[in-house]
Amino acid sequence: MSHADLAAGKVTRMSLLFRIQHLLLTLLLTVLAVTGFALMYHENSLAQWIIRLEGGVHNRGIVHRIAAVLLMANLVYHVFYMLLSREGKPELRELFIVRQDIDDFFQSLRYNLGAAKEYPRFGKYGYKEKFQYWGASAGIVLISVTGIMLWAEEFSMVFFPKVVLDLAIVIHGYQGLLAFLILFLWHLYNVHLHPSVFPMNPSWITGKVSAEWMREEHPLEYEKLKGKGLL
Amino acid sequence: MRKFALTAVLVFLGGAFLPGLAGDASASISLEKCTLCHGKPEFRKLLVDGQIRDLYVTGDTLKGSVHEKKVCTDCHFDVSEIPHRTRPKRVTCTHCHFKGNKEGAPQSDNVLAYFDSVHGTAIARGNAKAPLCQDCHGSHTILKTKDAGSKVARGNVAETCGKCHMEIYAQFKGSIHGAALAKGIAEVPSCTGCHGEHRIYAHTDPKSTVFPTHVSDQCSKCHASIKIMGKFGIETEQVATYKESFHGVASQFGSRTVANCASCHGVHDIRPPDDPLSMVNPKNVPATCGKCHPGANPNFAVGKIHVDAKNKESGIIYWTATFFKWLTIGTMLALIAHIFLDMYGRTRRLRGER
Repeated sequence: MSHADLAAGKVTRMSLLFRIQHLLLTLLLTVLAVTGFALMYHENSLAQWIIRLEGGVHNRGIVHRIAAVLLMANLVYHVFYMLLSREGKPELRELFIVRQDIDDFFQSLRYNLGAAKEYPRFGKYGYKEKFQYWGASAGIVLISVTGIMLWAEEFSMVFFPKVVLDLAIVIHGYQGLLAFLILFLWHLYNVHLHPSVFPMNPSWITGKVSAEWMREEHPLEYEKLKGKGLL
Repeated sequence: MRKFALTAVLVFLGGAFLPGLAGDASASISLEKCTLCHGKPEFRKLLVDGQIRDLYVTGDTLKGSVHEKKVCTDCHFDVSEIPHRTRPKRVTCTHCHFKGNKEGAPQSDNVLAYFDSVHGTAIARGNAKAPLCQDCHGSHTILKTKDAGSKVARGNVAETCGKCHMEIYAQFKGSIHGAALAKGIAEVPSCTGCHGEHRIYAHTDPKSTVFPTHVSDQCSKCHASIKIMGKFGIETEQVATYKESFHGVASQFGSRTVANCASCHGVHDIRPPDDPLSMVNPKNVPATCGKCHPGANPNFAVGKIHVDAKNKESGIIYWTATFFKWLTIGTMLALIAHIFLDMYGRTRRLRGER
């Protein structure tokens, strides 16, 4: 954290490497959603227009798979980065779901309904961020496994009967829809429309948030940084 | 001979000056003149390839046919002298069957469609074996199409096509459609049911009703109809489930290599799945799928092929789809509720309430 940042009251929330991973994830998920839903809802005229735009159903598949391979590479890189790097290891520890998160969730409900006086005090990642992170990770793993099974259908059929591949189609499609809806509704609310960040939390581009925001939304992290003399 | 020439001149003059009176008499040569030679039962010609062309014709030949009031030269109009010195040309039906003809010969655009068809274009390219009208409809014994005895009637058309397409006819006779046709079932398709009548095109021609991307539409004309299939206890969801499958979607978007109905069920040799010769009999499924998916094993035959995730009978697939549907709806409702609660709580905090 530079002195200029300190003077401007800025705190780093996403390092450059995390921002690159996030940007890749954003772009690739968009491509995958556009190509995937075009196939899933192929009877829709908009979907048919998109498939034509992508150069037909065959090219659509190629685009979808290129994006999928890049996404999986991104995921594998991310896993190794979180497990092995000096920056990733403490981040991973911050993301573990602990008892406190469940308590925080219920306390926030009680607070919002007027039954509790105090809003829960979050660390770097509150239960919302953790739900998003682990939900997205599990979703990407599930959708990758089913996607690979369907891509290598002849190889899959060596081991599984057809019903397993039919299941894979159902899971792949519905999981994609679920992930897309959660991202669209929940994530975009939290980083764009939420009153504390509207119109946008800038950290995905600049990597930085204001110390004031940190104090309001993630007070435990704010105090931790202050204790270390970083603020 | 001089007498004949004189008659000819008189007939010509008569034809020229008195068309109303002498027209018919001059244009046709009477049946008796033809049967002078053709009326002898042994009147036949030995062809170069050893075949015998029967040239025996009597006054009864046309009897009962739609042309029974016609005489020989109405169709063999290139015969202008008896005996004719050259072999008469093949009969051209469009001599009468053209639009607006005065004879009242039935006409439709089918004739024009024929010229564009695989048979018509083959003729135009000079293929002498390609069929003209008379090869399918018959020559002297043409009956109306609706007449059960017609060569192009439902019950006979396969045999008619089979005169040239022998192997296909043999396959078709063994197929479920051929067997049903032999039983006299009215709904079952014969050759023309799938290929069309005058508009027959090669299956590689995009105009063809059996072009790869048209096959499922063609089959679904009957197989998606509950009215027809209900009579025989055959499911109608097969077409819809195919169209929802990877194969069906790719086909709808123009893929010609992806499997259509015929790729798996066969073309002329379609048999029901419980027939050991059927391409979709469980024993043969690995080989059938293996045509496109190298190394297909018995796993391909396990479980239903035509699966509908919206149908309870699909078992685990239905339940997984239903689970995900409610999981998605439930998650969305929970998240929306959470967002509203969050905003409600914040608003109260902003107002300074506790």
